[in-house]
Amino acid sequence: MRNNFVIFVLAAAAAMAQTPGRKIDFPVDSPVTAVSSDWSETKATPRGGAYVLDVHAVLSLRNSSQKRIRGVMLAVQAQEVTPGGKGSVSVPSLDVPPGEAFPLRIDLPLLCPLGAGGPMVEVKLDGVLFDDLTFYGSDRLNSRRRMTVWELEARRDRKYFKTLLETAGGEALQKEVLSSIARQADRPSTGVQMVQGRSTNADAEREVQFAFLHMPDSPVDPTSGSARIAGNEARSPHINIQNRSERGVKHLEMGWIVKDQQGREFLAASIPSDVNLAPGKSSLVTQDTALRFSDRTQVEGMTGFVSSAEYSDGSYWIPTRGELNDPKLRGVVAPSPEEQRLLQIYRKKGLGGLIEELKKF
Amino acid sequence: MNGHVRETDLALYASGDVSLWQRGAIHLHVRQCERCREVVSEFRADARALRDASGLPEGVDWVSLSAEMTANIRVGLEAGECVAPRKLRKAISASIPDRWRPVALASAVAAMLTMMLAGAWWLNVPAQDTQALNRAMHSIWQGRSAMSDERGAVIEASSEGIELRKNGGSLGVSQDAARLMTVSVSTQGSASAHYVDQDTGQVTITSVYAQ
Repeated sequence: MRNNFVIFVLAAAAAMAQTPGRKIDFPVDSPVTAVSSDWSETKATPRGGAYVLDVHAVLSLRNSSQKRIRGVMLAVQAQEVTPGGKGSVSVPSLDVPPGEAFPLRIDLPLLCPLGAGGPMVEVKLDGVLFDDLTFYGSDRLNSRRRMTVWELEARRDRKYFKTLLETAGGEALQKEVLSSIARQADRPSTGVQMVQGRSTNADAEREVQFAFLHMPDSPVDPTSGSARIAGNEARSPHINIQNRSERGVKHLEMGWIVKDQQGREFLAASIPSDVNLAPGKSSLVTQDTALRFSDRTQVEGMTGFVSSAEYSDGSYWIPTRGELNDPKLRGVVAPSPEEQRLLQIYRKKGLGGLIEELKKF
Repeated sequence: MNGHVRETDLALYASGDVSLWQRGAIHLHVRQCERCREVVSEFRADARALRDASGLPEGVDWVSLSAEMTANIRVGLEAGECVAPRKLRKAISASIPDRWRPVALASAVAAMLTMMLAGAWWLNVPAQDTQALNRAMHSIWQGRSAMSDERGAVIEASSEGIELRKNGGSLGVSQDAARLMTVSVSTQGSASAHYVDQDTGQVTITSVYAQ
């Protein structure tokens, strides 16, 4: 009798979980085409008034353009206007020649409301970045900017490792790689929640000033700023910035480092902002956002730094390796996606494998 | 009562035929009221005199006399029920003034609806909401900040990965076959997780958006 009940429950659960419809919707002139796709592990389960879609898919995409592809970003969505209904999957640090295929794995949970049409997953191309830094795509998720910054960081880091190899030899390269792996392991991290709009906290609130790390080559300099702090919560940062370059700056991204009561520092969030700042002009960056940390964390101090900037002409500025070697930044800023890839190659194939990979570029 | 206990009640009190509650109330009154105390004394004296009387008059059939008296008493009681004014059960509403009755009725309906909604909410509330409520109550109890969980979307990044929460529901991102390297949060309402494939080193960046 009990076995029959268990079989009934399992059968009912299997009946409730269903395979959602899926659609790969690339433009006709897309530089990548879908060669094959495996959606066998994707399923949709009704929960309350919505479907929870566990999207697990492996796509095989072909470079159908005439250029080498450096990065791809796909928008994966079940319902664009529903919170939780939209996500993206990006693959930076690629080097795919024309005509070759490459895999792209999608693992995303999505939400869509219960409707007559049933659950549906739609994969769209948001952008493709080529080796000459030209871009193709709808760019609805700002894939151009993100992938361009990743590619510039990749070139910077590969050049740094190659220069180290050429000037100081394999041993120095190995020492630097091991040092980077150790920094990753030691990099402090804490859970952080991001809440948009007004958050409520009964603790007494106080204004805490930002300290700033000034990058010598940065086109934008933060001059002053503060945020409201209440216990383990920091909200509404506002930072005054000045464009000290001779070119207009249209977008800026800053890093927000938080220091807790034990003196530990960690990178809490990034603050992107469209600024459209003419040369020499100042502006105020504000965000109606709250960051909440674990209950044990008390925010004691904050540091801000410019992590990237986009000029009005579409070119970019990123910090040099020397600027990132600042003792305050070394311990908290995560390595670039390319450095993560190279470190994994070292772990898997050793120093020889890493040197071989660097020689490809 | 007009300041004094009725004679019938005093008679029953004297013979010990009142309820416990009535007995206590009459006792308190009789202790302070000389007139009623005298009436009770007279009743008790009459009762003693009756008990001391020797036997019944000759020729009286006590059995038939007792049956006739009982029958008369019953007839009297039933007749009294018929002619007495109708006795209504005293309802709670009887104590509420007429002008307040609509308000009282509306309050009762509102209370019933509240109870129904509270019951429905309790039966259907998502577990995360219950936990959040428990956390808030726990914080209040400990005298710490009672942070309320916002009803908007909350994006969380931790060493476990990234998660989007809204209205008690949550969506977490994980990639079992890959190594989670870093997570990051953007104040514009997104979070990203960097995964590195352990075999190829290929980096995949998964992002969720609050809107």
